[in-house]
This record gives sequence, C-alpha cells and structure tokens, in this order.
Amino acid sequence: MNKIVFFGGKGGVGKTTCSSSFALSCANKGMKTLLVSTDPAHSISDIFETKIGYKIVNIRENLEALEINSEIECKNYMNRVKANLKNVVSPIIVKEIKKQIDAAAISPGTEEAALFDKMIEIIIDKSEEYDKIIFDTAPTGHTVRLMSLPELLGAWLNSLISKRKKALELMQMAQNAGKKNKDEIENDAVIKILKKRYNNMQKARNIITNNDKLSFVFVLNAEKLPIEETKKAVNILDKYKIKVDSLIVNRILPDDIKDEFWINKKELEKKYIDEIYETFKGKKIIKIPMLKHDMGANNIKELIGYFEDESRLL
Amino acid sequence: MNDKLKEFLENLKLFFQGASDFNRKSKAILEKEAHDQMDNFILLCFADMLGLPLPTSYYALEILPYIADDLEYWQRRMLDRKSIWGEKWGDWDLDA
Repeated sequence: MNKIVFFGGKGGVGKTTCSSSFALSCANKGMKTLLVSTDPAHSISDIFETKIGYKIVNIRENLEALEINSEIECKNYMNRVKANLKNVVSPIIVKEIKKQIDAAAISPGTEEAALFDKMIEIIIDKSEEYDKIIFDTAPTGHTVRLMSLPELLGAWLNSLISKRKKALELMQMAQNAGKKNKDEIENDAVIKILKKRYNNMQKARNIITNNDKLSFVFVLNAEKLPIEETKKAVNILDKYKIKVDSLIVNRILPDDIKDEFWINKKELEKKYIDEIYETFKGKKIIKIPMLKHDMGANNIKELIGYFEDESRLL
Repeated sequence: MNDKLKEFLENLKLFFQGASDFNRKSKAILEKEAHDQMDNFILLCFADMLGLPLPTSYYALEILPYIADDLEYWQRRMLDRKSIWGEKWGDWDLDA
C-alpha cells in the first residue's frame, strides 16, 4: 500500500475535490491520514469549511491537514540563516548580509524553493507518523518541477562539495608542505551544510522514485486540453522514473440527458473517454460523475464510494 | 649522537631548499591555485551578485554566513579577472 499519494492535474479539473474525498475515505478506513495542500490558492479549507493553516490541524477523525505557507517557510529559513551570522566578525558586514538576505525574499523562485523544502521535509519526517500522506498539488508544471528537484539539486550540490574540498585540500597542501588533513576538511562548516542538504535530497529522491512508497494520481476531465496536458505530464514524470499509475476522470456528465445541447456534449465526452482509455492503457482509470451541487463540508462524503476499492488507488 | 646527526641533516636539507628556492615558490603557486579554486567555488554559489542570475541562489543563502567576511574582496577579485592569459602567464613569471 502506497503511503504517499500525489494528486496532480490541470487547474480546475477537480484535484482538490478528489484529493479531499480520497483523504476522507482513507481516514474512514482507520488510516491516520495527513492531507497537505501545496497550492497557493489553498482550497482544502474551503471544501472542509474549516480553518487550516501552516500548522497541522485535525479536521476529522483520523484526518489531519496542513496548508503550506511558502511565505512563512521562507521567513523561517531566512531567520535560520541570519542566526548563523554570529560567525561573522564585522557588524557592518552582518548588516549588509541581512539586507541581502531580505532582498532575496522577493527574488523569483524563492517562494517555490521554500515550498519545495517544506514538501521534502514532510516527505522525510512525517512518513513515520502517518499511514497515508496525501498531497494536493498546484497545477501540473509546478509538480513536475518538484519531482525533478532532488536529482537536479543533488547534482549541483555534489559539484559544489567537490569544488570546496579541492580548494581546501590545495590550501592545506600549500600550508603543510604537501600534507592533507582529511578530518579538518570534513569538519568544514560549509561542507557540513552542503552535505546535510545533499543527504536530505537523496532521502527524498529515494522515496519519490520508489513506486512502492509513492503514487501519482492524475485528475483530468474528458476534454481536449486536460488530456493533452496529462499526456505531457505523464511523459515528463516517466523521464524522472516516476510512474503515474492511476487517472481520475472527473465531472462525467450524467447518462439521462434529454436536452440536445447536452446530448452532443455527452457524445463528445464519450469520444474523449475512449481516447483516455486508449492513450493510457495499463493505468487504473476511475470515473467520477459531475455532481448536482457544490462540494462542501456536508456532502464531501458522497464521493468516498468511488475510492472504496482500495486496490484501485494503489 | 643520533640526534645531532638528524639535526645536521635537517639543516643541510633546509640549506639546499633555500639555495635553490625549492618548496617556497611552489608554496606560493599552490596558495594562489587554492585561492583561485575557492574563488571559483564562491562564484558557483554567488554569481548572482555579479549579475549572473542563478536558479540556486535560495540554497546558497545558508552558506552566506561562512563566506560573508570575504565577499567584498571576492567581488573585487572577480572584477579584476579581466585578462585570463595575462594572469596565467604572470603566475609563472612568463609575461615579459
């Protein structure tokens, strides 16, 4: 049984609805479940109609939730860095560096990096505490970048570590007439920091690419653009050795339609559903109907039935 | 007796090293190379300070406190790196 489940998909297809109902179905089965929203436009608090913040809260029996707040994560990181400035000698330099750190907060990519760091922290730290961890992710591109991050960052960190080691070795050789001191190099503060981050990336990478530990579920509608986007995303994830094993086709039109407009729509939908079965042969496909009313805290239980067959969403 | 012999041989070695400038010039070259490599390391982390955008600047921040003291001088050294060949030839005393 896969512990970590990522729900991905184009914006507006119903990811949050699906991930929330799935989380509820797991919780109802007695699994201690954590639902994590990474979408800046956090919708899980809207669906459950309860306040969820950057700290884990309990929202139902066996179900806890968290909305990652990248601004706060970023601030925490910067404060940790600033705390290390006590190593620096000159107070003028400390002031300059603090200004630089604050300026970095508005630099592009910073909030995303903070978000990813938190996701990785959850994947590594919380997988012991919970039976199931479900990530409701932001629209596709963002998720794909997250999945490739440990590998890319790992490569960069590796090259940094070896460069630093080489420079330190040369320094030692120059000063000790050709002798190297391995212990001194391993105790270098910068190398320790780089190695710590590298080890975390490796741990995350091992979990992410392990098909027994992590599942990827893509949510789409029976429409042209979501299908195209899903195709692309599945291919990209495949390159990073991440298998998407299930698809959820959401918002299926009801069968008993009388109106001509909607009958046409239904036929188009059938065509797309056939295309989905054809293109994604070998993957589990779950169909979820369009509901009469909005999804909210009192009727979110309605969709649980579609996830009841646990083997469907492994 | 053994100690005196050892001391004599050590002094002899140092005499020849000093006379032939052995081990001293190479120390300077090693140090220069070491500083260059360290500068390159800092460049990989903080090139965005010189105007080269880096996607990894967020992660480089945690190293900042340990490099901070040298940063200003590093920037100046980087800006001085105008002519590669002139510098390299100069290292080896080959620029006329």
